[in-house]
Amino acid sequence: MIDDIDRRTVLGILGALTALWIVAGLVFPDSWAGVLLSITASPSTHTAMLRLAVPIALAALGGIFAEKSGVINIGLEGLLIVSAFSAIIVTFWLGSGESTMLLSHHWWGFAVGVLASTLFALIFAIVCIDFKADQIIAGLAVWLIALGLAPFASRIVFDSPNTAGVGRFQNVTIPVLSEIPFFGYLLFDTPPQVYLMLGATAVGWYLLNRTAFGRWVVASGENPKALDTAGVDVRKVRYAAVVLSGVFAGLGGAGFALGQLGTFAGGGETAIGGRGFIAIATYLFANYHPIGALGGSFLFAGLEALQIQLQNLGYAVPTELIRTIPYVTVIVVLVFVGKTRLPEAAGEAYDSDED
Amino acid sequence: MRDDIERLLDRLVHASVVERVVISVAALFAAILVGGVLVFVSGGFASCRAGLDLAGATFCYNPMQVYYELFLGSLGHPLGGDWTPMNYSLATTLRQTTLLIFAGLSVAVAFRAGLFNIGTQGQLIVGGMLTAVTVLFAASYVPGGFVGTALLVPIGVLAGAVGGGFYGAIPGALKAYANANEVITTIMLNFIAIGVTSTLLSWRFQDPDSANPQTRPVPEYAEIPNLPFVGFSGRMDFSLLALGFAIALMIAVAWLLARTSFGYELRTSGTQPEAAAYGGVDEKRMTVASMTLSGALGGVAGAFWVLMQHGYWLENVPPLGFDGIAVSILAGNNPLGVGFAALLFGILSSGANSINTATDVPPELVGILSGLIILFVAMPEFFRMIGRRYVDVGDPAPVRADGGEADD
Repeated sequence: MIDDIDRRTVLGILGALTALWIVAGLVFPDSWAGVLLSITASPSTHTAMLRLAVPIALAALGGIFAEKSGVINIGLEGLLIVSAFSAIIVTFWLGSGESTMLLSHHWWGFAVGVLASTLFALIFAIVCIDFKADQIIAGLAVWLIALGLAPFASRIVFDSPNTAGVGRFQNVTIPVLSEIPFFGYLLFDTPPQVYLMLGATAVGWYLLNRTAFGRWVVASGENPKALDTAGVDVRKVRYAAVVLSGVFAGLGGAGFALGQLGTFAGGGETAIGGRGFIAIATYLFANYHPIGALGGSFLFAGLEALQIQLQNLGYAVPTELIRTIPYVTVIVVLVFVGKTRLPEAAGEAYDSDED
Repeated sequence: MRDDIERLLDRLVHASVVERVVISVAALFAAILVGGVLVFVSGGFASCRAGLDLAGATFCYNPMQVYYELFLGSLGHPLGGDWTPMNYSLATTLRQTTLLIFAGLSVAVAFRAGLFNIGTQGQLIVGGMLTAVTVLFAASYVPGGFVGTALLVPIGVLAGAVGGGFYGAIPGALKAYANANEVITTIMLNFIAIGVTSTLLSWRFQDPDSANPQTRPVPEYAEIPNLPFVGFSGRMDFSLLALGFAIALMIAVAWLLARTSFGYELRTSGTQPEAAAYGGVDEKRMTVASMTLSGALGGVAGAFWVLMQHGYWLENVPPLGFDGIAVSILAGNNPLGVGFAALLFGILSSGANSINTATDVPPELVGILSGLIILFVAMPEFFRMIGRRYVDVGDPAPVRADGGEADD
């Protein structure tokens, strides 16, 4: 019905609009375009963008592995909540600012956060792969359980759905490299979770595109029967991919909690506030490409950073409307831009007929 | 004796309707069991003056007491003295039941057509807001009193249905004409609904006399009226008339699905799309129609939430639409089953209040319980494996998101 528009055309149009905006901003620095341009170009917006991108990029990376293998993981939001919350609470229990076995308690909390998310992903994998549950329903269940569990546990410990503050990760500054003009401060003088995000994206891209495991993951989602015929256990590949999605989402949730939030609000939508769903939007937008998903998360996190900066400067911003932009984008991409296609066997349990 | 039991179990596992009921009940008990263990264990981390001392730790929470409060507290403690059927807890339970019947029906209708509508929440938000705005607008043209009620309530409910139906038609059309996965689009549209309604609220409809983000209240005569003499008191925000309407609508939807040609075509396109297409069903139009109907039911839930519970629309919408998914799944997407499942979730929701007042256990337990119920209902294979240890069961046929049977 609707003609697919080439991704390049879309990028071209966006590029032209951006160029127009930059010119307008430079010529009329007092206009809206000029103010927006100066904020967009300010270093504090860039650092905020990188930090806000962490949960989105890492959850999206996890979602790519799970969905590529044929298991749609709608529960990413739940994994982010679980890892963020448990990282904070464990750091609090151990006592923030101290260390055990030469490792600061923030890192112990971080490790437990990743472990908790991995454990949840493992349960999700068992339910979907061995018990052949509907993946969408099971994913929703993971989200709802996490949504209840975080404020539940928080009330027991803190008597409130919000946890106490535990402080944040310090910036890690790499000498010499951080002195590089323009982007040195951005990439080499930043809290550890940003390094983790960039590193994990590179590892994820390599794993998916350059290794046998990556090929198995893709085959398991597109044509599990063929993979089975080739002698690879589809069940094991899917287990590995889903557990990996838990590890990545856990890195994102725990890193965001300890590096950015420093506390966890468990009421309502929780402090994660739908970032797991933005992650789903992001990887669909990027058509399952890990580096594209990183770029997409920069885009969506950049919008959030921009809006926060505008509000700090006292501009009246339709916050709620700006928040819908990622969601509108993904619908537009799904509808008008071709080639975003779910893997052939995504959502279906695979039965090897060997029982 | 053993043969009899085996035959009974055999029949239970093979009959599909009975099987779904068995699985739902088993899932409920499994969730209660896991929830009980969670309550007991987390009691070991809480601090209290008196508790159960075991292996050097003090366990503060008693799961039996929690479930006692959850299930009997939500009915107003019928076993205690001076119990009246018109108590506040029971009113809360039945109010939630009413709203969840609408939300559950919304999800069930889409499920039966082979579509997973996660967007009931968004349709409810949009429908509810349109209800409040329309009634506020119409109230200035309509006389008060009985005539006002008789005109404004139907107008409000209709506005909710139109708003929700329109918002449900969007993912339906996107699915039919652009092949966009409805699971993804409805999730995204939920967030868009929140953003757009909040923006509209602060732009035009905010109540100037209130610090809360909410619309002006509708006139009292535009709220759902209570039955005189036999009904609950007006302060309890529940009307038996609304529950009666919900049950009537439930029967109507069941009749629509089971006895009309539209219902037959809807179910066929859910279970066997190819057969439906050969039978002359326009698949695209059916997709849009069933999503519109589903959205309209979600919008009606929003209308009753506005006109029965609050009298105004507010930004902080409870997750009724997501609970509706749980209700529909627990009911096996059967419209008549939705009534029972809605009552159970109504009890859970009202019981959360009793847990909060009568025990130290956090009321968020109820959210965990509903998540666990969904998780267990989603894995019938788990219960079949347990069942298979006792009887030989035929081929497994898992429940699918689209409500159809698995095709192997």
